[in-house]
Amino acid sequence: MDQLIAELKTKIVDILNFPDVKPEDIQEDAQLVGGELGIDSIDVLEMVIMIEKDYGVAINNKELGAKVFATLRTLAAYIQEKAPELPN
Amino acid sequence: MTGAAVYIVGMGIVSSLGLGLDETTDALINARRALTTSIPFPIASPQHLPVGAVSLAEAGQSPPRTHRLARLAADQALAGCETPPDAIVLGSTTGGILTTESLFGQKIDDPRRYGMHALGSVAEDLARRSGCTGPVVTVSTACSSGAVAIKLAVEMLRCGLARCVLAGGADSLCRLTYFGFNALQLIDPDGARPLDRDRRGMSVAEGAAMLLLSLEPGDAACPQIIGAGLSCDAYHATTPHPEGAGAMAAMQAALDDAGISVSDIDYINLHGTGTIDNDMSEARAVKTLFVSGLPPASPPASSIKGATGHPLAAAGALEAVVAALSIERGFIPANVGHRTIDPALGIAPVTSPLKRPVTTVLSNSFGFGGNNASLIVSRTSRRPDTSRTASGRPGLTIVGRACLTGTGLTDETRRVFFAGYACRGLLADGTLAQGLAPRLIRRLKRLPQMALSLAVHACNGVDAERMPVMVSFGTAWGALSETHDFLERLTETGQQYPSPTDFIGSVHNAPAGQIAMLLGAKGANVTTSGGDYSFEQALLAAELLTRQTADPIFVAAADEHHPVFSPLFDASVRLATQPADGGGGLLLQRRQAKGATCIDLVHYGSGEPADGMKALIQALGGAAAMDRRFGAVMVGLPAGRRKQAQRQLNSFLELSRFQGAMIDYRRLTGEFGGASAVASVLATEMVARGGVPGPLVGGTDQPLNGKGMLVLGLGDVITAIRIFPS
Repeated sequence: MDQLIAELKTKIVDILNFPDVKPEDIQEDAQLVGGELGIDSIDVLEMVIMIEKDYGVAINNKELGAKVFATLRTLAAYIQEKAPELPN
Repeated sequence: MTGAAVYIVGMGIVSSLGLGLDETTDALINARRALTTSIPFPIASPQHLPVGAVSLAEAGQSPPRTHRLARLAADQALAGCETPPDAIVLGSTTGGILTTESLFGQKIDDPRRYGMHALGSVAEDLARRSGCTGPVVTVSTACSSGAVAIKLAVEMLRCGLARCVLAGGADSLCRLTYFGFNALQLIDPDGARPLDRDRRGMSVAEGAAMLLLSLEPGDAACPQIIGAGLSCDAYHATTPHPEGAGAMAAMQAALDDAGISVSDIDYINLHGTGTIDNDMSEARAVKTLFVSGLPPASPPASSIKGATGHPLAAAGALEAVVAALSIERGFIPANVGHRTIDPALGIAPVTSPLKRPVTTVLSNSFGFGGNNASLIVSRTSRRPDTSRTASGRPGLTIVGRACLTGTGLTDETRRVFFAGYACRGLLADGTLAQGLAPRLIRRLKRLPQMALSLAVHACNGVDAERMPVMVSFGTAWGALSETHDFLERLTETGQQYPSPTDFIGSVHNAPAGQIAMLLGAKGANVTTSGGDYSFEQALLAAELLTRQTADPIFVAAADEHHPVFSPLFDASVRLATQPADGGGGLLLQRRQAKGATCIDLVHYGSGEPADGMKALIQALGGAAAMDRRFGAVMVGLPAGRRKQAQRQLNSFLELSRFQGAMIDYRRLTGEFGGASAVASVLATEMVARGGVPGPLVGGTDQPLNGKGMLVLGLGDVITAIRIFPS
């Protein structure tokens, strides 16, 4: 799980293309969307595509998305639970 | 502010409901849901999303599908018409993209096959077929394009620029919109259910609708467009304002324009796409506007997009035709697809078609970028308002200006250009982004960065009360980087992982939407696209939108060079000595101001007819006035049309007997769609300083002696912009 969280931080920073955000700036339990980092709904859509592409996990509706993208930890936990290829 | 009504003297329609007014009416009064999973291009996944598709008999790639749909609608609207329309205004977001997608997917690199890619080529095709030689304008404001096109046509008629205008919208289904909207999670897998509690999104569709508009009634019962209003949310690239502030502003502007109140409306044709956010935002706006007025209950309302799907740029025009049919034939269409009332919306749509007399309809169209338009169609006869004539209006004064070329921003471009050297090339990304916050542009590629840079620099140091309220932006090719990257990733991932960000950025009106958000410009927001004349179209739109207001407007045009797409699409780029891009922007305000520099578009017409140049010189005040009024001409001879343009130039010189300086600016700026915007900014500088620098005319500095300058556009279209001291 820690490794997955670290991996996600790098991928998210890459997607966001924020010049001033580094992977370690993302707190596992802080509000992920609409929080201090400035992650918005379009970033969420890009993350949805990345998660489906890289982990084979689909998050295809807004209600589910709101729960899964609450924090980085909830996101990692969801991927861990659903990903066909990740060791538990 | 009330404007004159215009008559709908001809109508044409094609959608998933069928072809023509009768088939459409029949489908609507039977509440037929015309969604299908049969898609007119190959889909890799076995699961097809429902769409609104038109059954087109003929197949093939030429002309592209959007052009074929537009022809079907235009032929109906013009049937029995003996003379061609004076002008055409068409809304489109797809142009020839469906054909381009297929060719690009097969790695075909023969530019001749991409000849009808441009958005503008749809309206140009209609002009050729109908013999229209006047202004042919293409509007691309996403899902409100068709309604915005009608608004501009109405203003053309009101100001006397035309007596008869063909206006509407056309879009075909294509991979870009099918996969793009799905990547945004805006598609309902069960088909659109507008206003339903369980709605999950829209169904992408295709279609075309055209209206022949005139100041003269066709017959006694002929419905009219009595009002039209535009606004911009200036809130978010794709999400509507949560309280529907922009939607409300557009509806209110349309009511004011018509000089009526909410109690006069007896049917609201909702935009009602079926997305969670649109329907919520629109419902709130309708509730606020109508419940605060009289009578207490709002009039019957429905969206037809559960029946037709959402035909994007065609939607506003299609629904204007449906509004007219509703009035002519006495019915209110049902909100097909709706099953369960959503208590959160606070409005309940009409669930079965109603037979009843209808007098006045409000029709809404809202688009990405927060581009909103509302139209009011009515059978009420109103006397044309002749109180405001063009002659009494103050001119458009230039309040701010900026340009960018391969050599840099305004100051660098001016320095190099005025020294007689080429400023063409591709500006480095870092220089382009100067003055733009890194967070602001983190998702923006080349064209929107150019647009923002122009807006920021043109408005730099401008007083708060002169900051733009409206935006009119022209682009020949739109955001090529985003379009290319979207299609490339779609192809590479076997249609599995299209980029939401690239889709959002690929729409032609994305740069103008970014400008509006940055500047908080909540008035009309229009994007035009007409090849090398896109800036002239943006200026024409600006003139029409400022007819009755002193609200400042930012008018700009820009085009980016893309290494793959630019040479495929643009003949001038193929012939250029080096790749080049850039653009220019002017902040304009209609006001009396002594000593200010003013701008107006004097002529916009086809380059084909032999008497085109005569008409231009007449519009400029005749040959006798040429040397008295103008000290120099910036002339645009696009490389791809050099021979034709040279012939036109010879004819201009012969007929006008003009003796002043001629500056062939494309040799210095390079070849790109927005080059005339750069020329206009540089001409403004020369008029403001009162002289033409010597190196540009091969001699010493030439004083303008209080005269103005002309920016002449030649080739497929002949245009003339006048820049002059007031």
